[in-house]
Amino acid sequence: MRLKLVAASLLAAIILASLVIVVIPGASYSRQDREAPLAGASLHHPAGTDALGRDRLVRVAAALLLSLAGACLASALTTAIAAGMGTLAAFAPRPVGALCMLGCDVFLALPWMFLLMMVRSALPLSASPASSAAITFLVLAALGWPACARAVHRGALNLRCADWMLHARASGLRGIQLARCVIPNLLPLLLPQLLVCIPAFVIAEANLGALGLGIGEPLPSWGGMLLELDNSAMLLETRWVYFPVALLVLVLLLLEAITVEA
Amino acid sequence: MRPVLSAAKLFARTIAIVLLVLFGATVLVRFAPGYLSDAREMDTRYAGAARAELSAEAVRSHSLAHLLDTEVRGWARGDAGLSRQYGVPVSSLLAPRLAVTGGLLLRSLPLAWALALSASLFSSSIRNRSAAMLWQTPAALLLAVPTAAMATICLLAGSGGPVLVMALLLAARDFKFLHHALRKAWLDPHLLHARAQGLRAHRLVAAHIVPSLAPQLAALASLSMVTALSALVPVEVIFNVPGLGELAWNAALNRDLPVLLAVTMIMALGVTLAGMLSGQQAAQQELWRSA
Repeated sequence: MRLKLVAASLLAAIILASLVIVVIPGASYSRQDREAPLAGASLHHPAGTDALGRDRLVRVAAALLLSLAGACLASALTTAIAAGMGTLAAFAPRPVGALCMLGCDVFLALPWMFLLMMVRSALPLSASPASSAAITFLVLAALGWPACARAVHRGALNLRCADWMLHARASGLRGIQLARCVIPNLLPLLLPQLLVCIPAFVIAEANLGALGLGIGEPLPSWGGMLLELDNSAMLLETRWVYFPVALLVLVLLLLEAITVEA
Repeated sequence: MRPVLSAAKLFARTIAIVLLVLFGATVLVRFAPGYLSDAREMDTRYAGAARAELSAEAVRSHSLAHLLDTEVRGWARGDAGLSRQYGVPVSSLLAPRLAVTGGLLLRSLPLAWALALSASLFSSSIRNRSAAMLWQTPAALLLAVPTAAMATICLLAGSGGPVLVMALLLAARDFKFLHHALRKAWLDPHLLHARAQGLRAHRLVAAHIVPSLAPQLAALASLSMVTALSALVPVEVIFNVPGLGELAWNAALNRDLPVLLAVTMIMALGVTLAGMLSGQQAAQQELWRSA
């Protein structure tokens, strides 16, 4: 419990600091300082600049906020889909339930990263930066639900056989009325699923970005910043290139600590 | 009779899943917004030829039924069709890459399991909570590094290749599960009693822990396989390993449907067979236990 509290406080502090950095007047993730490309740390640019002279600290802060917001929304969406699908599979007539679970198995028959890559590359890669961000997180949400739905299905099946549920059905409760009783009882299962999905989506976005299938420039993203590591000239110039990776690892560790304790 | 029926049912389900995956992949790629586009269209020198090829492709793939028919014929001929990107039979692209990817998996999976098993056996036997948590830190750290970042850093450091990256990633994931399973197992009353009686840990592991954890280990082995297949794409792309992952990445970016379908089928078969084997293993174990 103490670890969870410390991790949550630290993560909140990092998010707050990122918000402050992003909203400082004059700070922009896309503004170029053409006099100082690949600059080291200075008063003007505390974490240096990238090859285009953009402030790395502002970009990292914006990437963190974008990635966390996107991952949280995608996670909420995927958990909602999983809750709906899992509950439907458990309470619907047997053929419908079997069909729902077959759908899950079809999605789970392909490795997650491979499936993501295939779907993301099939969607427009030349879209506007904002659209590419929306597409990336929507793809994550659309493909992340099957594993979660399986867990929800198992939980919902247990609920279906519970005494109170039999009593409710015997009393004449149907459809939506039953669902209103089931969903709150599934919350202890859904909350960890929601929390587990957030770091998984952050990592997936970073991996997709590193493959050139993530969020488009000039929007900052973890994946885009990982691509900076491919530039050996940049690495010789400044060690601050590693800063985004270090922060990403720290954020993921904190998310993991919160999830483990949840 | 019943086991045969259930095995046949499982087999039919596996085949149905693979076929549905292939159908879904065909629909997805064919109706992707950029299916009938080519980067060469931007270059005046190649634009004419590219447009002619795209027109021919549009005619070839005008209907889904025709497209699926072409694919099935390609598989029946044994060459899995013709690659749109390279213009050679897909089977000639797959064979060498399968060997490369197979080699990578064969080297990284045992290494990962050896690392995870030895680390988790040691960590689960540590009584001190803080020391146990400290021992888990490297695994937590490895899990927090995206595969692409780990591969890039290894590449930059010049130490460790694709095998090490895959092994570390898999070992970290397996360790997490093994540690919890073993820690729980060590607390079983009969094991506590046996330890109090002075029985050596290695004998307890061989005689009690491994047999009782066999279903979980089998499930974990199949999960390792899925994780390994998932990590293949970024690892092979970043290390420039000419394997299936890199081929799939190129095929996905260039909308090379025949190649993508072939790789999809291999991946889907790999995952579903791994799942089926672990399921069978768990069922056998249950049968053995109930007997």
